[in-house]
Amino acid sequence: MHEVAVMTEVFEIINENIKIYNLKKIDQILLKIGEFTCVEEHALRFSFEVISKGTICENAKLIIQKVKASAYCDNCGETFYICYTNKLCPKCNQFSSNIITGYELLLEKIEGE
Amino acid sequence: MKQILIEKNILQNNDDIASKNRQILKDKGVFTINLLGAPGGGKTSVLEQIIKNIKHNVDVTVIEGDLYTTKDAQRIEKHHVDVIQVNTGGACHLDASMIDQAFEHIDINNLDFLVIENVGNLVCPASYDLSEDMKITVMSVTEGNDKPLKYPAMFQRSNALILNKIDLIDSTDFDIEEFYKDVYSLNENIKIFKVSCREERGIDELCKYLESQINDKRRNKEFQ
Repeated sequence: MHEVAVMTEVFEIINENIKIYNLKKIDQILLKIGEFTCVEEHALRFSFEVISKGTICENAKLIIQKVKASAYCDNCGETFYICYTNKLCPKCNQFSSNIITGYELLLEKIEGE
Repeated sequence: MKQILIEKNILQNNDDIASKNRQILKDKGVFTINLLGAPGGGKTSVLEQIIKNIKHNVDVTVIEGDLYTTKDAQRIEKHHVDVIQVNTGGACHLDASMIDQAFEHIDINNLDFLVIENVGNLVCPASYDLSEDMKITVMSVTEGNDKPLKYPAMFQRSNALILNKIDLIDSTDFDIEEFYKDVYSLNENIKIFKVSCREERGIDELCKYLESQINDKRRNKEFQ
């Protein structure tokens, strides 16, 4: 539900950079979205279409790179992939709440001229 | 063609405001909770019970988040504590800038406990840092025990879970064993409190827990 709010923030950051680098056209936007962020790709793309209309981002390619969730085991030092319902370390079977990836919501890169 | 590496957190603006306010709350020793949950689960009722129980020992202020109306603020006001109503005008969650505005109306120097009651929603509010010390989710047995697995993000990120309307459990199909198993699979460290606001059950234990957190935060301020 909050994809529009997320995309509005993306555009704020892009607009700052358009000014700084004096860009006339944006060709590509790369986002990194963690799987625990509850951001839905289709809704995010739809928000992008709506917000970019009539701007220099209108024809830009939106690339969404998904980031898998992982945790660090404080007990044995193992790093491992997790899902919502399984955060047990495969090595020592301890539950880990030390989530190191999965909450990313990053504007990684833009390309333009 | 220019490639511009930005590597910026999309919610950075929100998180910057939240960290600024978190520092203020830390300096003043104000324990802050973000109270979450679906509409109708009993967030406001639980809050009323908490206020009744602890307001003699603790200075409480409440920020009430809703899309529209001041109905919740009016309920809280009756307990003679300060309350600020934030209306999002349709938005599905509170963000740090809304809390920042509410801060202008808070007497932070005479405060121990700040409660931010979020908009009723089990999805979006989980993503926005409001400078709280803890996220506490309220859910009720009438919602069904399948909700934690259906809305995992909220339960994964909560420090405590209040299971309300426990007096109605025999009239529902709520499977409490499955509920515990599901919640702990998402978050083994979560603290679960079973309460009934209507029968005022389980409130003492919940308030003892909150008061110990409030006192810890206050003590940390004195050590600074």
